[in-house]
Order: sequence, then structure tokens, then C-alpha cells
Amino acid sequence: MRPRNPFVMDCGVFTTNYREDMAIIHHPGAKLKVLAVIAFFLVFPFMVGPYYVSVANLIGIAIIGAIGLNILVGFTGQISIGHGAFMGVGAYAAGILTATLGLSFWIALPVGGLVAALIGGLFGVPSLRLKGLYLAIATLAAQVIIEFVIVHWPALTRGPAGMVLPAPTIGGITLDDDTSFYYLILIITLAAIVFALNLFRTRTGRAFMAVRDRDLAAAVMGINIFKYKVTAFAVSSFYAGVAGALWGHYLGVISPEHFTIHVSILYLAMIIVGGLGSVMGAIYGACFMTLLPIVLRELADAFGRSFGGLTHVMLSMQEAVFGLLIILFLIFEPDGLAKMWRNVKNYFKLWPFSY
Amino acid sequence: MKRRGLLGLLSVLLAVALLAGGCGGGTPEGEGPIVIGGIIDLTGPTSDVGMPFYEGAKAYEEYLNSLGGINGREVRLDFIDYAYNIERAKEAYNRLVKRTGVPAIHGWGTGDTDALKSFVARDQIPYLSGSYAEYLVNIEEAPYNFVVPATYTDQARIALKWVKDNWPEDRAPRVAFVYNNTPFGTSHLADAKAFAEELGFEVVEDQVIDLRALDATTQMLGLKNSRADFAIIQGTSNMAATILKDARKLGLDTQFIGLNWAFDEKVIELAGAAAEGYIGVVPFAFPGDDVPGMADIKSYLESKGKSLKDINQKFIQGWVSAKILFEGVRRAGDELTGVNIRQGLESLRDFDLGGLAAPVTFTAQSHRGTEYSRLAQVVDGGVTYLTDWISYK
Repeated sequence: MRPRNPFVMDCGVFTTNYREDMAIIHHPGAKLKVLAVIAFFLVFPFMVGPYYVSVANLIGIAIIGAIGLNILVGFTGQISIGHGAFMGVGAYAAGILTATLGLSFWIALPVGGLVAALIGGLFGVPSLRLKGLYLAIATLAAQVIIEFVIVHWPALTRGPAGMVLPAPTIGGITLDDDTSFYYLILIITLAAIVFALNLFRTRTGRAFMAVRDRDLAAAVMGINIFKYKVTAFAVSSFYAGVAGALWGHYLGVISPEHFTIHVSILYLAMIIVGGLGSVMGAIYGACFMTLLPIVLRELADAFGRSFGGLTHVMLSMQEAVFGLLIILFLIFEPDGLAKMWRNVKNYFKLWPFSY
Repeated sequence: MKRRGLLGLLSVLLAVALLAGGCGGGTPEGEGPIVIGGIIDLTGPTSDVGMPFYEGAKAYEEYLNSLGGINGREVRLDFIDYAYNIERAKEAYNRLVKRTGVPAIHGWGTGDTDALKSFVARDQIPYLSGSYAEYLVNIEEAPYNFVVPATYTDQARIALKWVKDNWPEDRAPRVAFVYNNTPFGTSHLADAKAFAEELGFEVVEDQVIDLRALDATTQMLGLKNSRADFAIIQGTSNMAATILKDARKLGLDTQFIGLNWAFDEKVIELAGAAAEGYIGVVPFAFPGDDVPGMADIKSYLESKGKSLKDINQKFIQGWVSAKILFEGVRRAGDELTGVNIRQGLESLRDFDLGGLAAPVTFTAQSHRGTEYSRLAQVVDGGVTYLTDWISYK
């Protein structure tokens, strides 16, 4: 390790061996920053009211789901519009274990993820032959089939009425309020982030990216395309399943209404806005898409009070704004918020001598 | 060029930061207005009935304030649109309870009311709702939920009872159920079917139609093949209109009976001639009804330069619901806690609504407002009542 001046920012990444090259965190300053961010989130519930904690919980769950989808779409290049249904599989699998069979949440959570991974992998099988639009339609079929099964298998899922799920308990403490659930979500979200960041430093992760960049070339290099495509589906669905299981137990109730195609599209929008092929992008996108309707609503309220009658218009605008944002991002910054943030950082790093 | 892009980007970030910062600040406590929360669908699949309901509830708030509010304090109903999305309903609930700090809420859909009922019970927030699902009157599971009119199950039972009493033929009537596959659409099914069989009916067919469907041909063909004499619709106005139009197109002679949300002026407007003869279970009055309770609404509308022609039945429903909620608040006394408002609501005995709805009774043992409803039929494009307030018992 070369000695560095901690008060001087680096203007780029300079490494002299593979070990340094593979590091997740390149600068010693950045390590402090990461620790500071984690510390901030540890004390976050004590700094704000419970309402903000509940919003943070929704964001945390969205982050897990969005990272999962980004592994599949952004890193492996396989489009999926069945992500919402895979969340449903995880939520129902975990829900059946806790509510119907009375098992512990701590068993149900990973099992929910695994069941989702299994089903997701199964629906990933067509990806060997199908690409692009055709694969999109195949995953749409997954969405429709899973929704149909949930609605029409009342013996298992209680049909459209939905299931009531118990709150998880740990050592006599019931995680039934926002703050206690916040820490559960925080820990799982951090684990999800760390796993995803590390995944792309492994052979599997690099194989995913090779498949994305050019699957023929990847096959020529000896990568088993089928295996990695299905693995990507499974890993992505595992994330979705865990997010779904958390979501169900956080809300305390699940019904087929929760896991519609709208959810799938919302998650696609998250990773497009956040940045395809970037773990940080999935995080930014999840924050952005969860906060957008809330911020728009607060705006609508604020304007509605001063200009009567405008509230309706503003509320209806939400959907339009949502669509417009996706189009604008696709045109002006296809790499999403993650790229925008990098641009900002680079601007300051290189200031005043940008090249 | 690059710089300009970055500047634009920075200004966007700045704007977002400002917006986020601008959301702070709560409602002051004490002698300010009494703020009651509301969760409503103004932009989602049930917004066709959600919008007039919202307007009716807001109208009652305004009317009450014009009379001096409650104990001299202004009242406010803060509605949040949740687009029929349960996650957003939960967010809205947290916003209302944990940030605004409301002591009571008027909710909307069956799915979200059900999802929130355990939180409502824990936070002790009396919760009226636009959902009249049977399981919300289960006092053990939902101790803070109140249902104002007859529940969906009771409505379906009233419809079946009426069919039984008016069935001219010797054979058992064939009855079908048309609904949407949501908690709202299905909460009455099991009980209503059991009741139909108890009455000796033949339950022949289930047809599922999406709330937003614009075509119901397949389902109506199925219904035609089942030769159902009656079909009970649980859905909203738009869905009912779609059903009636397609049923007419295919020449069905099934008599359709819509429950509360599937029968209003909008159905007549949208379905036109196809709505002729359509029967509805109507727990609330129509604007054209000559009942004493209508005078308040009329005087409110006139003060706004409007008339009863500008509103529909769902407006009255919102008005009545808000009236009952605020009556509970009034009876809660000076200390406006959820527990007190609950007790206030539980002190309602045959609370007279001037014919806008059946008199409402809540007790500590039962949050089932009433078992009575009326049946009405579309005749010459208008609504004609078939019965007075009746119960299925």
C-alpha cells in the first residue's frame, strides 16, 4: 500500500497489484465514508419521527428487490417483467411457513427466498432460447401464471382474501413496530448490498457480465451460458423472495393484489432510473421511486391548499410524471442516477482542472 | 456543453433536496383545528366511486365548519390518495398517525382496511371505512373498525331474501355471482352462497371480472350458458356498466342485482338503455329522494352555487360517513383520543340520519351499524325503490 495523504482527494484509481484492483473500496477516505453512512443509518430512527422510519423501511425492502432485479437485468442482460410475481412467491412461501405451519420467521425468510429462487430459475429456463422482447413476454407469462396460481389455490394461499402474517420475534422481542423492523431490514439490506458487490468480483459475477455483453463470445470462451442465465434468474428471484417475505411480515398481511405486474414495472423503473448494471444505482433508484409519489403528494397538498382545486390535477399528474421521468432518463442519462452521482463527484474531484 | 449539463444536474439535485426539506413541520397541537385522517382512492381503479365519496366527505367537513365546527373548534379531514395500493395505504396511515397525529381515520378499500386493522387496533385509531366487508365487524379481530351500512354479506343476503320473496315460479331460482378477484370483490362470497343454499337456491356460476375491464363478453357468455336467473354483482360502477352492456349485447335475460358500489347514477349514465331494469341494494339515499336529511346537503350545495343535480349517491355516502365519524368525535368530549372517539361512536343508538341511510347503532359489543338496506331498480333511466328499509332476517 502506498502512503496516501488522507486530506487530498484522488483524481482517479491507481493500483499496482491485483489485490488493490479487486478492492470494493479503493480509497481509505471512502472507507471512513462508508462507516459514517452505516453509523448514520444505525442512529437514524432516533433522529427522526416514526413516520420517516416507516418510509425508510419501505425503501429498504425496495432496495433488496431492486438489487435483485439489477443482477438479472443490469448485470446479466436478461429482461424480466415477472419480478413482482417472484416477490409474491417469496412472500407466500414464507407466509405459509409462518402463518399456516407456525414455523419461525427466521426459517421462513431464507426458505421464502429459496422457493422464489427455485421458481425464478424454472421460469429462467426459456432464456437459453429466448432473447430480448421474446424473453420479456416469457417472463410476463411467469407473472400471469404465478398471479393466477395465487388467486386460484385458496387451500394454500387463501385466494384473493389474502393471509394474515405474524410479526417475527427474536429472543422474546416481537418486531412489530417500525423501529424494530427497521433494524431487521437494515441488516438484511446491508447483507444484500455486500453480497451483490462481492458477487461481481467472483467468477460467477464476471460470467454474468460476459453473458450480458455478448453471449456468443462468452460461450466461445467456455462459459456455460445456460447455467449462468438460470443462476442469474435464481439469484435475482432469491432477492425478490426475501424482499417479498420481509414486505409481507412488515405489513402483516399479503394478498394477490400486492404482487401485480405494476410492481414488476415499478422495479424495472427503479433500476432504469437508478442505473442498470450498478448496485449503487439500484439503491438510488429504489429511494427515488419510493419517495417520488410521497414528494409529489406533499407538493400537491402544498399547492392544493394555496390554489384550491389543483390537488386533483396534481394527483393525476403523478402517473404522467412517472412515465415522463423514465423517458427522460432513457434519453438523457441511460446510466441513471448512479452515473449522475459519479459525474458530480468527478466534477469536484477534478475541479478546477477538468479535462 | 459538459459544464451546462452538470449545472443542470446540480440544480436538479438542489431542487430535490429543497423539496425533501420542505416536507417537514407537523400540525400544531392544542386549540387548532381537529384533524381527522382520511385514506381514499382518487387516481386508482376505484376512483370512479372514490372521487364523489371524497367530495361528499369534504363537503360535510365544510358544512360542519360553517355551523361552527365541533365545540367551537374547526374540523379538518385530511385525505391522502393511495391509488388503491396497499403499500401506499400503509405509508399514508403512518403519515397520518405518526406525523399528523390524527386520533381517527376514514379509510377506503377492503384490502387496505383489512391490512391496517391490526395496526389500527394497536394504535387505538377508530377506523371507519368505505369497505363494508363482513370481517370488519368482528369485534375481537378488528376492535377499532366500524361499518356504517349493512355489510356486503348482509347486502347480498338482503338481495337473496328479496329474490326468495318475489320468486313467482315453482322451481328453485338459479343464482350466479359476478365479482372481481380482490378482497373487496370476494368478502361476501362464502356467506352469501351458504345463505342462497339455505334458501334452497341453486348456485350455478361464478364469473370474475376485473374492476377496470372494458369487456365482459366471455364472462357473460358463461353466464348465459349457466341460464342464471339472477346474478349478484360485487364491483364498482364502471364494472357494473360493462357487465350490463355486454349482457344486453348477448341477449341475456338474467336479472342483475348490484351491491352498494355497483349501483349508482353512473351505471345508468354509462350503460344507458342496458341499465333498464337493473336492481341495486341501496344502503344510502339518492340525491333525488325526498327525505329530511337532504335539506342539509341542499343548503350546503346552494351556498356553493350548486344543486342536488351536481352530485350523485356516492357523494351522499361520503357525507353520511363523515357525519357519523364527526358525531363520534363530538361525543368523545374534550380529550380527543382514539379511545374516547371509539366510546363516542359506541354511544350511537339508532342515530337518525334523516333518511340518508338507515339509523346507525354502535355498541361496545357490535360495530355493525345496521342490517337494513333498501332495494331499488332502474326504471326509465331513473331510480325507483322496490322496498322500504328491510333486513334479511
